Amino acid sequence: MFVADIRIKLKKGVADPEGKNTAKALELLGFSEVAEVKTSKFFSIHLDTHDEAAAKAQVEKICLALLANPVINDYSYDIKKVA
Amino acid sequence: MALEGLYKKIEAPFPLSEVLLSKADDEQLKLIAAESGTGLSLDEMKMLVAYFKDLGRDPTEVELQAIGQAWSEHCCYKSSKQILREFVFGIDSPRVIDRGDAGVMHFDTENVYSLRIESHNHPSAVEPYGGAATGIGGIVRDVLCMGCQPVALIDPLFFGRLDTPNAELPKGTKHPTYLFGGVVSGIRDYGNRIGVPTISGSVVFDDSYTGNCLVNVGCIGIARKEHLYKNRVGGIGDNLVLVGGRTGRDGIHGVTFASAVLTGESETESRGAVQLGDPITKEPVIHSVLEVGRRKLITGMKDLGGGGLSCVCGELAFAAGFGVEVQLDRVPLKEDGLLPWEIWVSESQERMMLAVTDENLEEVLHIFKFNDVEANVVGRVIPEPLARVFFKGIKVLEMDLKFLTGGPEYCRPREIRKPEYGTPEKAPARDVSHTDALLELLASENICSRDWVIHQYDHEVRGCTVLKPLQGALGHACHGDASVLKPVEESWQGLAVCTATNPWVMAIDPYRGGKAVIDEMCRNLVAVGARPDAFSNCLNFGNPEKPERLGEFHEAVRGMGEAAAKLDIPTPSGNVSFYNESETGSVMPTAVVLGTGIIPDVRKSITTDLKSDGVIYLVGRTGPEMGGSAYHRLTGASSPKVPDTDLEVLRDAMKALLIAMDEGLVSSCHDISDGGLAVAIAEMCIGGRKGAELDLESLGPLPEEAALFSESCSRWLVEVPRDSAERFEAILGPAATLIGAALGDELLITRGEEILVSASLTELENAWRGTLWRLMGGSE
Amino acid sequence: MKLEDIKVCILRIEGTNCETESYQAFERLGAKPEMVHLKQLTGQDVRESEKRSITDYQILMIPGGFSSGDYVRAGAIFAARMKTKLAAPMEEFIREGRAVLGVCNGFQVLVEMGFLPGIDGIMSPVPQAVLSTNDSSRFECRPTLLKYENNYNCIFTQKIKSGQVLLIPSAHAEGKLLFPHDRAEQIYRQLEDNDQIVFRYVDPNGEYAGYPWNPNGSPHNIAGICNPSGNVMGMMPHPERVFHRYTHPDWTRGFGSEIGDGRAIFESVLDHISKKF
Repeated sequence: MFVADIRIKLKKGVADPEGKNTAKALELLGFSEVAEVKTSKFFSIHLDTHDEAAAKAQVEKICLALLANPVINDYSYDIKKVA
Repeated sequence: MALEGLYKKIEAPFPLSEVLLSKADDEQLKLIAAESGTGLSLDEMKMLVAYFKDLGRDPTEVELQAIGQAWSEHCCYKSSKQILREFVFGIDSPRVIDRGDAGVMHFDTENVYSLRIESHNHPSAVEPYGGAATGIGGIVRDVLCMGCQPVALIDPLFFGRLDTPNAELPKGTKHPTYLFGGVVSGIRDYGNRIGVPTISGSVVFDDSYTGNCLVNVGCIGIARKEHLYKNRVGGIGDNLVLVGGRTGRDGIHGVTFASAVLTGESETESRGAVQLGDPITKEPVIHSVLEVGRRKLITGMKDLGGGGLSCVCGELAFAAGFGVEVQLDRVPLKEDGLLPWEIWVSESQERMMLAVTDENLEEVLHIFKFNDVEANVVGRVIPEPLARVFFKGIKVLEMDLKFLTGGPEYCRPREIRKPEYGTPEKAPARDVSHTDALLELLASENICSRDWVIHQYDHEVRGCTVLKPLQGALGHACHGDASVLKPVEESWQGLAVCTATNPWVMAIDPYRGGKAVIDEMCRNLVAVGARPDAFSNCLNFGNPEKPERLGEFHEAVRGMGEAAAKLDIPTPSGNVSFYNESETGSVMPTAVVLGTGIIPDVRKSITTDLKSDGVIYLVGRTGPEMGGSAYHRLTGASSPKVPDTDLEVLRDAMKALLIAMDEGLVSSCHDISDGGLAVAIAEMCIGGRKGAELDLESLGPLPEEAALFSESCSRWLVEVPRDSAERFEAILGPAATLIGAALGDELLITRGEEILVSASLTELENAWRGTLWRLMGGSE
Repeated sequence: MKLEDIKVCILRIEGTNCETESYQAFERLGAKPEMVHLKQLTGQDVRESEKRSITDYQILMIPGGFSSGDYVRAGAIFAARMKTKLAAPMEEFIREGRAVLGVCNGFQVLVEMGFLPGIDGIMSPVPQAVLSTNDSSRFECRPTLLKYENNYNCIFTQKIKSGQVLLIPSAHAEGKLLFPHDRAEQIYRQLEDNDQIVFRYVDPNGEYAGYPWNPNGSPHNIAGICNPSGNVMGMMPHPERVFHRYTHPDWTRGFGSEIGDGRAIFESVLDHISKKF
């Protein structure tokens, strides 16, 4: 069994309204130190396979098929073996 | 430990105990009630002792928990029933078709509509996003289980002032901006996702809600008459099919949580009582339930709300005079290891129970599978009026349903106070010009534009919303009095929907406040051209064990009942929420109504925005009744003299106005409420992009501030095209007073030669528009 | 073919929620709409009698809503489920000149599937665009005004006058149409050259304007586009909500016709299909 921790980020240069509005809200709440907020999505996916290479190939496919839209998203992941 | 030896283990492949009530003394009974989380009183525990003594045994813990749920204030209305019966249950009408989980009313020869409003206060105070979302889920199921398609959501909300300094917050209380933001997001994300438009609501801000916000949620449904269902099983042998979400530990003891006062520790103690919602389970549940309903594949249904399986199984079967046998093993669970009592009382969301004959079972299960919704047979209807529950082959509960679902009923002591004892006559603490007072009122939290909220809710999905919550010129639309739906494809008949509440008046004089709420509801409905047809009420009060609080409740219900009876407006559904108190005290007595009205032709609906250069009439009489008014709150004044409603005057004015509207004589109309005549005309000007000149000389010898800002009941401002004025006056008679005309781009209010108010349209709109955006953030 | 023979597939999955009013729009005009669950096309969990083929229909509409809760990204799950089972028949459907309309969430699905903008062929293997989070970061339900800017390439708008401004309301949280950052202007010019831009947001004076008239911050104020051959259209605002004048937000202030501004879109496509097949 492997666990893939996948992070879907916005590409550099793509506007992040959620981050921007969160920053504004934090400022309103008195957190004057907040300089910038960026958002990303995190998925933790358990894969029932014994082969790390196969797990990696699966995760690549998953990212392209659903989790990331290449127009705005970059993705990265860590794969760990679990018991 | 004081309870040692009172829990006797029963031989079973899971933890199960018998609770030896027969061996417990009073102190131990109280301890058992507290430790089990059931919240039963000592008297109620003693009723249990007696019941089981007759049976010659002690209850299992499952039985104890089932009673705790069924007998909570939230489930059985033990403190309020007697008062409600005296004043409102009796208002009947042939238009009422059913009084189930939602009330059902006649709409036209083929169709009915249903309505209900209820509270979701305590969960929202602890976790605003999830609390509000699950509130929507629950009210939608109430309408759905009558067989109705949900077509509208309505949300009156009450919070502390948004500018409350953090230092003033009681321990454990969340800031009103956090609660308000979270509740609106919860309603938005749930309501928008399930595709039911949120068409009406209100937001009230006052210090009394800081420790205990109120989140009331209402829903309207529509159905063809032949697709209506009762909340009861069809007959012996019916399968009980549990559909929708899985059962988990979320929402355990929700009803007992709702029936206690909030404390600083409520958050940490009660997280388990807040359920999590899942709108994307709900949407296919709605779809599938309506399909099996339309195809007559079920005999009855009910939603799982407060009390979970325990309440729904008992009530479904008992309503038909039968009993039920349930296998808890068959209930699909979110996590392993739930104890039988937890499964039995869990209030997990998105669940409904259907009664299905053997013959239709396969088809029903197929429809749910097709829509990816879980459906499982968990029990069967039996002839004896009993609930019998098994888990892993062992009987864990057997109780008489009459005893279980009956519940105690109290006639608690109440103290009815005269308003003049509580509220002194106090002059304004500050001097402010009338123009400034108007601009400050328009900018005040309780009157300013709600567009920050409204645009976040989808109010037009389903494509039936004829009058929307914001009405007027594009880009300048202002608040309407009611929204209007055209719910049936083949008909132009419309359903108008509004909310009404006035806690400030009710806090001073609950009886007059009760009448005033009904008056406001009627004003709102008539303003759009609708005949008031029915209302559902949500009564949010403090601790009913305090005589003063119950006295407020008694008087408020008396006032509402008197007005509704006189005006022939039945209330086929309602909800009482007591214990709205925190460490800083009780909320103001807050009666909220969800009113519905019928418009024979939606093409005749009327909005609040000024349309042309018509003349303006004031309908109704203005008195120096400033108690509880927005003007008094603004200036720091107070008075026990709150507006009173003359029900005959109201009835006659409504009738005359509706005749004039039917004849097409009215181009715009707005009810006069918070902030009085001056605020009402300002709103009409803003929405219409049009100024007005009014002369209040003809109102009689009133103090200037009363003429401008009094909130006397039963009043409207009406714009009438000049060539219709004569006919309008003939219909309205002395009820209508000509006070001015729509013209220019400025609001000018005079009394004879003297100028009382003068402000440009831009000044009015700027004052009114920005407040919530400023306090809540976000770009306007 | 006759109007009453035109079959319209109103495709839904869990969370689709504008199917009733979309169905009614076609039904009121005399066509034969049918609500079809995606599973009926893929054959999963359905009986033989419930199975449908996309070739049964001349028009496919993907209505608005929150398919699968809009989790991951708006429309992404619906698109991924369709793509695995229906990519080839959908391509054929479009190649034959049948009509595909995506409104709001349906637009998001068409973009995620690679059918729009469709500049490199009928279906691109990876999405060429995205409907991204509104600049306000909020759900925006408000009246929007759309200027018709197509030169009659699009089969959904033949009955709309060039330059006409229509009131068609919006209700979405993700409606900002973005292209790959490095090629955005190039793609935009291609869209213009191919006559693929159908609607742009304007203010009450008919001018391109920012928020709130452009509710999501879409560059170049784009509200709706079609594919190069004009038979696939996606738009964020909801024409089915303004079929009648009486659901316009300001109808009580006077109007010329009882016909709502959204109706022309449904009429146009039915007219086109009845002539073509």
